[in-house]
Amino acid sequence: MKRREFIIHYGRQFGTLLGLIGLCVVLWILTPHFLTVSNLLNVAQQTSINAIIAVGLTFVIITAGIDLSVGSILAFSGVVLASVLRAGCPIALAMLVGLAVGMMCGLLNGVLISFGRIPPFISTLGMMSVARGSALLYTSGRPISGFSENFRFLATGKILFIPAPVVIMLAVYLIAYFVLNRTKFGRYTYAIGGNEEAAILSGINVKLYKTMVYGICGMLSALGAIILTARLNSAQPIAGMMYELDAIAATVIGGTSLMGGQGSVIGTLIGAFIMGVLRNGLNLLGVSSFFQQVVIGSVIIVAVLMDMALKKQRD
Amino acid sequence: MRTTLLLFTSVVLLAGLAGCGRNRDAETQGPTIALVVKTLNNPFFMDMQRGAEESANRLGVNLIVQAADREVDVERQMQIIENLIQRKVDALCVTPSGTTEIVPAILKANQSGIPVLIVDTRADVEALEKAGGKTATFIGSDNYEGGKIAGAFMVELLGGAGKVAILEGIPGHETGDSRLKGFHESISVAPGIEVVASQTANWERGQGFNVFQNILEANPDIDGLFAANDLMALGAMEAISAAGKTGQIIVVSFDALDEAREAVEKGLMAGTVAQYPKEMGRIAIEYAFKVLQGETIPEYLPVKIELVKKEN
Repeated sequence: MKRREFIIHYGRQFGTLLGLIGLCVVLWILTPHFLTVSNLLNVAQQTSINAIIAVGLTFVIITAGIDLSVGSILAFSGVVLASVLRAGCPIALAMLVGLAVGMMCGLLNGVLISFGRIPPFISTLGMMSVARGSALLYTSGRPISGFSENFRFLATGKILFIPAPVVIMLAVYLIAYFVLNRTKFGRYTYAIGGNEEAAILSGINVKLYKTMVYGICGMLSALGAIILTARLNSAQPIAGMMYELDAIAATVIGGTSLMGGQGSVIGTLIGAFIMGVLRNGLNLLGVSSFFQQVVIGSVIIVAVLMDMALKKQRD
Repeated sequence: MRTTLLLFTSVVLLAGLAGCGRNRDAETQGPTIALVVKTLNNPFFMDMQRGAEESANRLGVNLIVQAADREVDVERQMQIIENLIQRKVDALCVTPSGTTEIVPAILKANQSGIPVLIVDTRADVEALEKAGGKTATFIGSDNYEGGKIAGAFMVELLGGAGKVAILEGIPGHETGDSRLKGFHESISVAPGIEVVASQTANWERGQGFNVFQNILEANPDIDGLFAANDLMALGAMEAISAAGKTGQIIVVSFDALDEAREAVEKGLMAGTVAQYPKEMGRIAIEYAFKVLQGETIPEYLPVKIELVKKEN
């Protein structure tokens, strides 16, 4: 492969990865507490929920859509899961119920977008409020807390020496990578985002596939809810506020284009880690929390600048 | 080439940012104590930070103050605590964003042998005991007592009869719940007082305005308002003034922020229950230092609470 082709195909991911490594090196120089096994596992664990939600958003954004409701869906599926668990339902069944709630919300988004022809920004904005309100109504605004150790294993447990949420995150990325790169579903996802008209003309059932993509996104939010609930030993109806922005940020830093048709889950994983490492590093350094927002915003802007530069090369 | 250049500049930029944002890390020989509050964009916690800084300077403590961007972000607060544990701070002073949600974070600190002092908002004692966690002490005001003071004042001003609305904090927050409980306890002695509306405005000023405007719409004949914090009360007072009812509704609230004190001075607000966040911050660091010196400290360190009204 020629250098130019390499840059066009992998340059962006490579650039993001270099950015992450550069960031780690800087932190390693600045503080002795960063590059330790326990801290790196700590960062991975803190990143897992955002990273899992961001996978779903990556699919959605590749189809040139957006989902603003992920944080609210997380809260709603979280409180339903928690109430079912508290009622004495077996863990596996309760998790299925939680995932189903998330998926239903996502599918509803998809139906409104595909069949109702409502722009994704608007329909998911509506769902953001509906799901949040439902979570508050369902709980009368109060958190539901106190679960069995077995359930909490999903967040506190370790498999070998790796925290369970990290294992779940890696499994999700493995599956997502396979689906996006090796299946018809994945190819169609790119095709829809690249040129929806052309996808329709070539016989792809665009409405069906788009609906499914939003369904997956909702389900992954619910998976995030499971881990969060286990982690805090509590499900809050106000959980997950602004998580949509974190997930969109991870996706965009990872090189997925908001115009659709381009993006990768590996990029998103790196993007999520850049955010996780930054927050961790700035905490370790004792940097003011106001400043952290400035830094993360700057990183997003730099990432998009990088995209523009690459796009110029491509043209 | 351009990409490489961009990358290079971004890394340099980041290094620069991290460098200039860095505070006096390891300048003094003293212990490192972290104060994790709910948020730093609320004057209450800024005062607490100031008090903590005073103590830290006096005792030669390296103080790290951190907070989530948003007051209710319990998961982010947990991340901050985890990161500070990695940072190997010597002691942690925490104002929990969630009373039960803080428990797993306390356990993690326990496992690393880092003493935890709870400030202002209690951790859920039952959940903590069940999980086998322990805290060094609780530093704060008795919010229940404060609520009772506010309620008694309301009864006195209304002469024992009238319609009252309540603006609640976030449900499930120990501070807000205790204030409400105390308030209800006090007004229960006056059967002439009727609570016509009790809704949350999530501690926020903007929501205080909107929620109270709606309450006023439904109950135009309200005589009194109790807000569980000043921000909500200040928001509600804008709604009162927008409705042209300034001076007709008795407002009693909590926290005694500077702005609320001014309102009391001007007679716009009847009273506000003062807590002393600066004092809490000062005591928190002082006693964290004592714990690190091996001293035993009391389980509860009360901070005074009193009503601010026009006469005093």
